[in-house]
Amino acid sequence: MRFQSQKIAWYFFAACMGLFVLQLIYGFILGFDRMGWEGLHEIIPFNVARATHTNLLVVWLLAGFMGAAYYIIPEEADREIWSPKLAWIQYFSLLAVGVVAIIGYHFNIWEGRKFLEIPRPLDYLVVVNVLAFLFNILMTIWKGKRMTTTAMVLFFGLLTAALLYLPGMWTFDNLVHDSYFRWWVVHLWVEGVWELIMGAILSFLLIKLTGVDREVIEKWLYIIVGFTFLSGILGTGHHYYFTGGPSYWLMIGGVFSALEPLAFLGMALYAIAMARRGGRKHPNRIALSWTIGCAVMSFVGAGALGFAHTLPQVNLWTHGTLVTAMHGHMAFWGAYCMLILALISYALPEMTGRKNYKGWMPEWAFWCSNIGMICMTGAFAVMGVAQVYLERKAGMDFLDVQEGLEVHAFALILAGALFTFGIVLFVKNFISYGLPSDEAMIANASEADATASDSGSTDAIDGAAAPQA
Amino acid sequence: MLTKSAAKAFFLGGTALCSIAFVLLSMDTLAQFPERSNQDEMTESVVRGHMIWNKNNCMGCHTLLGEGAYYAPELTQVVKRRSDVWLTEFLKDPERMFPGRRKMVKYDFYDADEVGAEEAKKNIDDTLAFFHWVARIDTNGFPAEPDMAPANALATAPIAANSILNAAPEYVKSVCIGCHSIEGQGGTVGPALDGVADRFDAEYLRKWVADPLSVKPDTTMPNLGLKGEQLDDILNFLGTLKEN
Ligand code: HEC
Ligand code: HEC
Ligand code: HEM
Ligand code: HEM
Ligand SMILES: [Fe+2]
Repeated sequence: MRFQSQKIAWYFFAACMGLFVLQLIYGFILGFDRMGWEGLHEIIPFNVARATHTNLLVVWLLAGFMGAAYYIIPEEADREIWSPKLAWIQYFSLLAVGVVAIIGYHFNIWEGRKFLEIPRPLDYLVVVNVLAFLFNILMTIWKGKRMTTTAMVLFFGLLTAALLYLPGMWTFDNLVHDSYFRWWVVHLWVEGVWELIMGAILSFLLIKLTGVDREVIEKWLYIIVGFTFLSGILGTGHHYYFTGGPSYWLMIGGVFSALEPLAFLGMALYAIAMARRGGRKHPNRIALSWTIGCAVMSFVGAGALGFAHTLPQVNLWTHGTLVTAMHGHMAFWGAYCMLILALISYALPEMTGRKNYKGWMPEWAFWCSNIGMICMTGAFAVMGVAQVYLERKAGMDFLDVQEGLEVHAFALILAGALFTFGIVLFVKNFISYGLPSDEAMIANASEADATASDSGSTDAIDGAAAPQA
Repeated sequence: MLTKSAAKAFFLGGTALCSIAFVLLSMDTLAQFPERSNQDEMTESVVRGHMIWNKNNCMGCHTLLGEGAYYAPELTQVVKRRSDVWLTEFLKDPERMFPGRRKMVKYDFYDADEVGAEEAKKNIDDTLAFFHWVARIDTNGFPAEPDMAPANALATAPIAANSILNAAPEYVKSVCIGCHSIEGQGGTVGPALDGVADRFDAEYLRKWVADPLSVKPDTTMPNLGLKGEQLDDILNFLGTLKEN
């Protein structure tokens, strides 16, 4: 940490921890429902638990992205955050909106489109909130001493994510239209602009942790996000096969989405190659584990498991089954949850001055959560494939099949317990660091950091355009 | 080797091209939607049904067009599997049709006791109108017919040629069979109806079928509100269910 205002990031990260734990509690409610233990049905029916589970995920990831921006942008722009006060207002209002929305779900107040359940009035508040956030970040970059590629990609990712929130607020009388524009948010977020955010945060971490030259890292960043958009935009077609769209989407969606794993493969190879290449050993090894783990697990969860059901011949049978849930869990975990946890692991010692990345706890947090997630994915995979064959292909009754799979829901819960154990360790480790402190900032300034040699972007265009504060 | 500005040009150029292609294709798709979804048949009732669907997040348990949650049956073709009468009875109180199994929410707005008979009927009719409209959307073949099933293993197996059920009124085939079996075909919620005419006299059967709750106040068989000719037809058929 080099600037005092970066401390705000810590509060965003703390919110992530709390919301994540709450998300897992709702995950268990869903798991028990699936086991046939529907004791909470009267107060929290499955659809309430599910909307809460997924919305908490999205809210904590967004809080994580914002925290990441407040941490990274000052460092990249080489100045304090433009308005820490605005950041605080934005912090509390984001949490308030999230909490109100989730309470509302428990009273059947929502819009009932998966992932976009937030009711309309709150949508407007989200928009205002995100505008305030973007403005603050933009001003920080604008007034900063330099304009790096990493900062620009991060900003561009955040800006387009905000813009793509808007089509989700458009509702129609015709169900087919509803579905069409829902994917502009859901798909173009996770398989489009969020990957820019992911690429930028990975770049930042790799620059800090490996000491590889910024020019090299940022060049590859462009190539990877180039592949993301080349495949991901038209890849949206893999959601238009069977939802009322014309049949040309079978071809276009199939071909382009089949290329999407390349971007994730690129991300994984890039992280591993940079870590090998970097001459310098940063003492915070666990942050590097999360960074590389993120790149690798996102390739498995999004790339490989996404590819597994993206071709129309396969998707005809797997569309809307637990196969999708299998892919959704590991993809979100690998690409976005691990990304935030990687940045938190890197930033905590910087912000607090404590070196609690040593010892067994952070190691166990990493391994238990990842092994737990692999097992959860396995349990979903068994349920998904069984559902596809028994119900979709052999024509058995839906409920009969589901009841036969209750034992696998028990396996899911066991795997989820291991996963949760890892996360609890991570949170304990987070707490053990304590609050961020200004002394840490001074101490860090004197300590040799991989950034010592990092003179910023010399990219002709980026560099020349950078105005001085 | 590739320079950073070439990499940047690749990113910007690729993104611009793909975005333009995507917008053009979207315009074409939007132009085709009205026909592919029979938008002209989207009556007010259908639209209200859609609103009920959205407002209550039915998608948080079910899938429709394969989108939603995986906890409850896919509903795109539900009107092909279930008759309107069955669905009407089901929506009034889902638990009744599947006692002790995975739960659906019992919604007040489908329940005559909560919102009045007229309002409840309207909400059910709107929901069904919506499902009938959805079933006709051109989905490029989703959901596919099961391709690994021996014909008689299908959940909706056709009635065997020599079954007494061929003589049954439509109502029996679409509603009673949801809960009772006849010659091994049908549900297991209520007892099998084979030989029912041996067990009960016609008088009792009439009273029972017309209003089970008046005969046995704690029974789980729903009051289906049958009367007139329809009731007569059903009872005539029940009278033929003898074993000796
Ligand atoms: C809490 C989860 C849940 C919610 C919410 C829910 N359902 Fe259901 N639904 C089920 C389950 C589970 C079944 C399977 C049968 C049963 O046990 O009732 C079902 C069955 C059905 C069926 C019969 C399907 C068949 O093939 O037999 C229809 C129709 C239906 N639901 C409509 C709706 C509508 C309309 C809504 C919203 C107003 C809705 N459901 C909300 C869980 C839910
Ligand atoms: C929602 C499920 C359901 C539906 C639909 C249903 N029944 Fe029933 N029925 C039951 C149940 C449960 C019982 C057992 C009731 C009890 O003993 O309390 C029963 C009992 C009966 C009995 C008495 C059988 C015996 O052996 O005791 C007859 C006759 C009968 N039903 C006829 C019908 C007819 C005719 C229809 C169609 C018009 C019908 N039922 C529709 C659930 C249903
Ligand atoms: C990090 C990136 C990704 C995340 C977080 C993610 C997550 C998800 C989620 C949550 C869904 C369910 C969406 C819904 O029904 O509303 C989904 C669906 C889907 N994903 Fe991904 N995904 C990612 C990348 C990919 C990639 C790269 C591919 C293809 C190679 C892919 C292929 C699919 C397909 C085909 C579906 C539709 C499944 C169905 O028909 O039910 N995904 N994804
Ligand atoms: C304690 C561990 C967890 C359990 C037991 C659990 C269980 C579940 C269940 C049962 C569903 C509903 C599937 C259905 O519709 O039937 C679900 C949905 C979902 N969960 Fe979890 N979950 C857990 C942790 C997580 C984590 C850590 C993430 C983030 C990576 C996550 C992300 C999601 C997503 C994105 C969906 C929506 C999937 C889709 O629509 O395809 N869950 N979860
Ligand atoms: Fe997608």
